[in-house]
Amino acid sequence: MGRLGVLLLALFALMAVGSFLPPLIDPMYHPMTGVDPEITRATPPSWRHWLGTDFIGRDLLSQLLAGARVAFMVGISAAFVSVVIGTALGLVAGYAGRWTDTVLMRLADMIMVMPTLLVVLMMAVFFGQLSIWSIVLMIALFRWPGVSRVIRSRTLTLKHRPFIEAARIAGASHLRILIVHLLPNVLPLALLYMTFRVTSAIIIEAALAFLGFGDPGTVSWGMMLQWVWKTGHMSQAPCWLLPPGICISLLTLSFYLLGRAMDEVLDPRLRKEKGVG
Amino acid sequence: MTLFRYILRRLAEIIVIFLIIQTVLFFLFHLAPGDPVARMVDPNMAPEEETALIREWGLDQPLGTQYLYFLRNFYSGRFGVSFHYGAPVAEIIGHRLPNTVLLFTTAVVLSALVGVRVGKYVAWQKHSHVDMVVTMAALVCHTLFLPWIAMLILWFFAFKVGWFPVTGMISPELWSNPASGGLMKALDVLHHMALPLLTLFLIHFGSFLLVMRGSMRDVLTEDFIFTARAKGLPERVIRDRHAAPNAALPVVTYVGLSMAFSINGGALTETVFSWPGIGRELVFAVSNNDYPLALGCFLLIAWVVLMANLIIDTLYACLDPRICY
Repeated sequence: MGRLGVLLLALFALMAVGSFLPPLIDPMYHPMTGVDPEITRATPPSWRHWLGTDFIGRDLLSQLLAGARVAFMVGISAAFVSVVIGTALGLVAGYAGRWTDTVLMRLADMIMVMPTLLVVLMMAVFFGQLSIWSIVLMIALFRWPGVSRVIRSRTLTLKHRPFIEAARIAGASHLRILIVHLLPNVLPLALLYMTFRVTSAIIIEAALAFLGFGDPGTVSWGMMLQWVWKTGHMSQAPCWLLPPGICISLLTLSFYLLGRAMDEVLDPRLRKEKGVG
Repeated sequence: MTLFRYILRRLAEIIVIFLIIQTVLFFLFHLAPGDPVARMVDPNMAPEEETALIREWGLDQPLGTQYLYFLRNFYSGRFGVSFHYGAPVAEIIGHRLPNTVLLFTTAVVLSALVGVRVGKYVAWQKHSHVDMVVTMAALVCHTLFLPWIAMLILWFFAFKVGWFPVTGMISPELWSNPASGGLMKALDVLHHMALPLLTLFLIHFGSFLLVMRGSMRDVLTEDFIFTARAKGLPERVIRDRHAAPNAALPVVTYVGLSMAFSINGGALTETVFSWPGIGRELVFAVSNNDYPLALGCFLLIAWVVLMANLIIDTLYACLDPRICY
């Protein structure tokens, strides 16, 4: 299962890297501005355009490749920021305890129950058109609570271990204990959560773009679906509808499989069960 | 008694959290670039209406006073006037909310019932072909991109084979005809609801199945299952009476944790199928810069989410006698 996930991910990474190629071959293949002069409507796949074109003659394959790049960019950067925030707050909450813990965890509870997509939509109300990086930041700011809860509970079990007490007796400061002694022990867990956060970030960005609130300067898979939807081509052009949706779903699936495989590595209980069964 | 006190404490917490959300929204309303008065007052409004609205919301007062006006209006059920509809926001929300509740609860209850049953069944046959196939299918359902599968379903069932209507919740000609009876109307709504229901069902069914399967397999390793086997109870009794009720508890927790995710999905489904619900109204309000309506919808959704979480936690305490608050 994990191997399938990695294989799919490698394929998507290849797509993302390959996205730089089409515009170099011919400016016509530029995902955003390249228009085939001979085509004025959505066309099915042909030799010239392997996946067909959209309603103004832009090449769908090059859009799909560019979408892979955007998905990785959004997913990984949002996941990274949210895991950094979540790990830092989780460590502090678990280590400090008392009211710091209460305040941070109540805040986490509050943010956790809010539907992130709708929250980012509300931000779009106030700040108008959001750029791709502000979308990333927004997703990161609202997706850390799950991570911080897990990191906190791991920190709680770690902080009474002898090696932490030894460090304290040796005169280590709180900051040193947090960074040098606790952080390396929670890092694998944080990494595991990063794979899950990548998917949720990609899905939220895609959904946002689908609803028409994406960054108009980027070609993402959600944006492609939005074009199909808004131009009313859904009923006529299934070959335009299929590729972006399949890509989003498969990328989500592959990160999910990777996460599950990592989970098995980190949690010996799951491994044993697999061995016995 | 302790449960009662727990509920009271949680209610107090919810009120505080809700106040914080409102406060944040209020300040965003004023700090975001642009004129806050323009966000509350429709540019196409008559001057006397405009002054009335400015007075009602205290938009000519200092910020602190405005904040109090904002809270007072909110708690007396005045959410402002929608730009697009020209009607009070509370009225619009009142019309939309039942539609969302109907679609959403039907979908969640249906997928929970089916997902839990199937999950229970496949967990019992672990590592068989049935288990492999069903689990993989559930995994795919769980990871499908919702707007896309909604569009595919719409394309196939509404455009290609034409069994179901493309948009909306009712057929206007049927409802305006005085001759059509209540049953006809109910069937009409069901006919319109089938496709959005199918979409939400597919997405939720997979998650329920996966959670139930996982928790069922955890329960199977417990001693009381071993005891039940040793007593010579039939497999079916062990599965349905001993394992399943215990395994169902994490499913209840999961409903609470996935609430935010499902609400996002609900809004997307409503948008694709033009189902006249709260989620679609929020998306619509945001695209039209209809600030009062967007604010009203969002606050209502936030309130519902918080209350639903409280209900789920209480339910959990009732189901699991080991939990005490």
